[in-house]
Amino acid sequence: MAAAPATPPVIELRDLKKRFGVGDAEHYALDGVDLTVEKGEFIAIMGPSGCGKTTLLNIIGMLDQSTDGEFLLDGKNVEDIRGGKQASIRAKQIGFIFQSFNLIERLNVLENVALPLTYSGIHHTKRIQRASDVLKSFHLQNREYYMPWQLSGGQTQRVAIARALVSDPSIILADEPTGNLDSKSSHIIMEELSEIHKKGNTILMVTHNPNLTTYATRVITMLDGRIDTDTAEPTKQEPKTVKKRPLSKSAKPPKTKKKPAKRKAKK
Amino acid sequence: MQLLLSDHYRTARQSLERSRLRTFLTMLGVAIGIASITTILALSGGVSKVIGKQVAELGSQVAVVRPHAALPTLADLSNPSPSNAYSTSPLQERDITTLSELPATEAVAPLMTLSGSVRTHESTPNKSTIVATTPSLVKVNNLKISDGQFIDSVTKQNTAVVGTQLSIDLFGTDQSIGSNFLIRGQSFTVIGVLKRQNQPINYNNIDFDQAAIISLESGKLFNGGVAQIQQINVTAKPGTAMSTFSQKIQSSLTKNHDDQKDIDVFTGKEIAKPTSNLFQFISAVMAVVASISLVVGGVGIMNIMLVGVSERTREIGLRKAVGASNMTIASQFLIEALIISGIGGLLGFLGGYFIAFVISLMIPYDPTFSWSIVAWTASLSIGVGALFGLYPAIRAARKNPIESLRRYH
Repeated sequence: MAAAPATPPVIELRDLKKRFGVGDAEHYALDGVDLTVEKGEFIAIMGPSGCGKTTLLNIIGMLDQSTDGEFLLDGKNVEDIRGGKQASIRAKQIGFIFQSFNLIERLNVLENVALPLTYSGIHHTKRIQRASDVLKSFHLQNREYYMPWQLSGGQTQRVAIARALVSDPSIILADEPTGNLDSKSSHIIMEELSEIHKKGNTILMVTHNPNLTTYATRVITMLDGRIDTDTAEPTKQEPKTVKKRPLSKSAKPPKTKKKPAKRKAKK
Repeated sequence: MQLLLSDHYRTARQSLERSRLRTFLTMLGVAIGIASITTILALSGGVSKVIGKQVAELGSQVAVVRPHAALPTLADLSNPSPSNAYSTSPLQERDITTLSELPATEAVAPLMTLSGSVRTHESTPNKSTIVATTPSLVKVNNLKISDGQFIDSVTKQNTAVVGTQLSIDLFGTDQSIGSNFLIRGQSFTVIGVLKRQNQPINYNNIDFDQAAIISLESGKLFNGGVAQIQQINVTAKPGTAMSTFSQKIQSSLTKNHDDQKDIDVFTGKEIAKPTSNLFQFISAVMAVVASISLVVGGVGIMNIMLVGVSERTREIGLRKAVGASNMTIASQFLIEALIISGIGGLLGFLGGYFIAFVISLMIPYDPTFSWSIVAWTASLSIGVGALFGLYPAIRAARKNPIESLRRYH
C-alpha cells in the first residue's frame, strides 16, 4: 500500500482469506489480511494459538493456497505462477524454518543442510561446500557427519536453521525458530537471523516469545485471522529500516537500483 | 536435469540402502520374472540356433519333401495323437525314382522310419530308431562314419549301420563292427558305426546317434514289401535355383500322385520351420506364464513403493518446502522404482542364464546368448519399473506439503 508501483513490495497481501472446512465446520483461519512487506524488513508475528499465524506463513511460502484475496510476490500474482516455478522460487528465494526440526533422518547433517541447494541446480560438491560453510557459521562444523538423531534438540534446530539459510534466500519464513532452544542458543540464533537481515534479507518470524521481538523491525499481532496491531503504522519503526538499507546496498549490488526508490516511496 | 538425475540416483540409493532386506525382496520378485523369461528365451533361442545351424551346414542345395500337413493349431498341440502323426504317408517308392530323374537333382535319400525294438540277446536299449534308406543318405545328410562303411548297393540286406550311442547301448562299445543284433526279431550285422553327431533335434526328426540304419529293401520287408516313406531329402546340383527346383519337385510329384497336392517341399530355412514353430509356440506359452510372475513382481514394486511414499510423507513435505516441484518428487520415486526393477532385472538376467545352463545339462541343446534377449529383458524390467512405479510416484508428487509436514507431530 505504501509501495510505489515502480518498486513492488516483496510481499503484498490484499484481503487474503483462508477457509477450512465446509458447512457448519467452516472456519476462516485468515479472514481478510492486508499486509505489505518491504524488502529488508524483519517482521515478528505474534498472537495466540490458532489465530492464523502459521497459515499466513504457509501461504506466503506458497505451501498453501489462499481461498480468497490476492497475494503478490515481487509484484507478481502468485496465482499466475506455475507450480514448477513456485517450487523453484521456494528453492532459491524462500527459506523455511519449522517449529519442529524436520530434518531427514537418514541424511547426515551436511546433506540435510545441503538439501535446498539440490533443487536450485547446484552441483553436489559445491552444495556440500556451501553447506559446510553455513554450518561453520553456526559452530556446527564438528557435527557435519552426525546423523540427526545424534544431535541435541538445540543442535538439531540450528542445523534446520542452517538449512534454511544455505541457499541465501531473500525471504526467510520462521515458525517458532527458537521454540526448542534455551535462551542462550535462542539469542545466538536471533543474532544470526539479524545478521542475515542486515544483509538485506526479509524475515518473517512467528514467535510466542516477546523478548525476541526486539530483534524485529516490525511487530505484527494477529487475532482471529486478522491483523490486530502493526507497529509499521506508527513512524517508530521507519528509521530502523531506513538505517538498514545502506548495508543491504553493499551486500547485494544487483538489487540496489530498487532501494533508493523504495526509500523515497516509504517516506 | 542431468544434475537432478544424479541427485535422484543418490537419494534413491540412500533410501534403498536403508531398507536393504525389503529392497532385496522386492528386487527378487522382478528377478524371478526376468529370470524365467531369460531362461525361456535363451533355451528357445538355442533350439532355433541348433536347427538353423544344421540347415546352414546342409547348404542351400537341399530340398525336403514331406507329406502335406495343415498348419498346427492349438488343438493339435493338446491332442495326444494328432491325426497326421500316424497316418500313412503319400510318398511312394516311385517318387524316389521320379526325383532322381529330374535334371537338376544330384542325390535323393528317402527316410523310412520303422517302429519296433532293436536289441541283442543281452540288452534292449530303451531308445532307438530304425531307419530304412538308400546309400545316398550319407551324401545328402553329410553323415560321417567313424568305423566301417555305410550301407551301399552291394551290401547284404541284413546289415546295418548304427549310431554311436546305440552301439554303446547294445554292445557296450562303439567298436561294434561284426556284432549282431535283432530288429523285430531278425538278425542284423553291424557294418559301420556313425560318428557321434549330438544333434537329437534336427529336421529329419531322427537322432542318428540312436539310429540303426538299414537298407530300404530291408525296411520294405518289415512293411509287407511296401516302402512307407516319411520324408525325402533331395540335393540339387550346385548352382540350381532352389525356388524353381522346389516347384519342379512339387509338380512332378503331384503328377505322380494323381494330381493330388498331398506333399510339401521345403528349402532353406523353411526346412526347420515346423520344428521351430512348435518350439516357438511352447516358448510363447511359457513366456506368458513367466510374464505373469513379472507382473506379480511389478505389483511387489508398487506395493513397496506405496509403503515408502507413506513412510516418507514428511520427507516429501519437507522437500517440497525447500523447493522440490511435483515433477522432481515424482521422478525421485520413479527412479527408485526403476533402480529396483533394473537391478532386479539384471539379477534375473544372470540368474536366468544360470538356470538355462543348469537345464541345458539335462537337455540336448545349449542356451544361446543374443543381444535381443538383453534388449527384451532390459526393456521388460525397465517397463515394469516404470509402469508400477508411476502410480506411487504420482501419489508422492500430489502430497500436500503442509499436511505432510504436520504428520507425526
